[in-house]
Amino acid sequence: MQETIVIGVIGSDCHAVGNKILENVFARAGFNVINLGVMVSQDEYIDAAIETNARAILVSSIYGHGEIDCIGMRDRCTERGLDGIPLFVGGNLVIGKREFKDVEVIFKGMGFDRVFGPDVDLQHVVDCLHQDIAVYNREHLAVEAAA
Amino acid sequence: MKTVSIDIGSTWTKGALFEVGDRDLQLIKRTVFPTTVQHLADGFYQVLNALLDDTHAIDRVRSGEITLNYSSSAKGGLAVAALGLVPSITLESARVAAYSAGAKITQVFAYRMNRSDIRALEANPPDILLFAGGTDGGHFDTIRHNAALLASSALDCSIVYAGNRAVQDEVTDLLGDKDLVVVENVLPALDQQNPDPAREAMRTIFLSRIVKGKGLDEIIAATGSEPVPTPYAVYEFTRHIQEHVPGWDDFILLDMGGATTDVYSSHDQCPPPGAVQRGLPEPLIKRTVEGDLGMRVSAEAVSETGDTLIAEHLAHDPAQIAAFHDYVAKVTAEPDYLPQDGQGKHFDTLLAGACAAYACERHAGRSTQVYTLDGTVDVLTGRDLTGVKKVIGSGGWLANSPDFDVSAWISERKVDGKGKTVLLPATVEYYRDAQYLFPLLANVARNYPEAAALTGVALLAQS
Repeated sequence: MQETIVIGVIGSDCHAVGNKILENVFARAGFNVINLGVMVSQDEYIDAAIETNARAILVSSIYGHGEIDCIGMRDRCTERGLDGIPLFVGGNLVIGKREFKDVEVIFKGMGFDRVFGPDVDLQHVVDCLHQDIAVYNREHLAVEAAA
Repeated sequence: MKTVSIDIGSTWTKGALFEVGDRDLQLIKRTVFPTTVQHLADGFYQVLNALLDDTHAIDRVRSGEITLNYSSSAKGGLAVAALGLVPSITLESARVAAYSAGAKITQVFAYRMNRSDIRALEANPPDILLFAGGTDGGHFDTIRHNAALLASSALDCSIVYAGNRAVQDEVTDLLGDKDLVVVENVLPALDQQNPDPAREAMRTIFLSRIVKGKGLDEIIAATGSEPVPTPYAVYEFTRHIQEHVPGWDDFILLDMGGATTDVYSSHDQCPPPGAVQRGLPEPLIKRTVEGDLGMRVSAEAVSETGDTLIAEHLAHDPAQIAAFHDYVAKVTAEPDYLPQDGQGKHFDTLLAGACAAYACERHAGRSTQVYTLDGTVDVLTGRDLTGVKKVIGSGGWLANSPDFDVSAWISERKVDGKGKTVLLPATVEYYRDAQYLFPLLANVARNYPEAAALTGVALLAQS
């Protein structure tokens, strides 16, 4: 079954090229990609994920303000009924010279399941998607069945 | 060839007789009678007989000598309740579809309904419940939940299901005992609005079921001609003008009545360079209707919504503010009241200005400037009407008000209550439907679209 994922560039970030590449790669990998484009707000990702029954949200950020744009996104997903949805973030997430592992800690602390740097191999992201969506579907379907 | 057009309004039944030419229509005669609310057919026949000067005018319609088209907004028009999932997505698509079908939206619901929502629907049942939610292959559990809840309700109106295709069968099984019509999704994918199948279903239901309750079925049986809701006809007329009249691709049509203000616009949306468009794609023709903006029945609500705006216009003489409120109370109690003096006429202008300003503001989209590392970027949501040059004013009051300055009133709402820029034009050419023929021409357009559109525009008075 083709899984639906929502992608987009968050905040006031209007870098469109990488976003197109991601759409292409994920579509070729067999996902139904809902691409919201650039300058996407937290609620727009969540609205789109609800309507399309998406199995993951992938947030991109390139301009260095990712940290402030992403604060509270996990809580917002939970509040709006997307409990436990796989939440990925990637790109050039912070300004200045910070070790990637420190950046990863910050974003995982915010509730993102996976954090990727600007040089990640996209096949690795695809593998992570398959893995996390499988887990989410198992848990989510179990909850649904119980209800 | 002669053709008759009749519009059965809530207060007046209006009619006109036209001679049909190659590419134009000549108005031969027009008349108006009070709407006979107890039995709509009576007022209809009075108008028809008067237009054709014949006590059995119906025979000439039946024989095909005269063609006839008519519309109705009597007895509350077409009342639709809209149900979607996310308010800004499938609920918005449901609204767009309902408005395009000529409906007024009486209630809206999003996400999971609960028992009090069901009670609210049962207490105030619409003619149609438009049930949307989920893109095709998308979300479904809320749809199932809502369908099950509706199934257990006492609601007996027509239901149009235009949501996620994946659960069509389940919805059909759950709501099989109701009066259910299943159509294509109003939003099959996030970037694709699809209002027409739901719109067509609502038009068909209006015809097959609702007209009976309103007493229009007798006219259908007698004339063989079928009515549409008045705003449905005007929506189509807007499309005909866009298609057939050179230079009229982009325009706004304002139809202001005693109870509501309708705004129609024709506009092919294309975000300007450097701007980013967010939200659902915009249709070519769009209608919105404001049930709380009108010259008489809704005057009280207008004075509340527009209190700051109206107070500014009366600031030179604060004593007038109290007089204005007295006037509003008077016209609300007596919807037929026409002002007798300069002050009353001025107050009517203020009411009309506030209706125009707020109705256009709600119809139009918004822009906010966002600072990015690459400079400022305009983020647009909704309909960008800044480039529109023409506004048509229709409805009884606007038809008779050559001095109404629509540009000035629209400009009063350059910025909305949240500080966002309202995407309306700064100055426009104003065209007045001085003979108030638009709803009647809209009916004729069902048979003669080009002639009606060209005539409608040719008859406009520019001021």
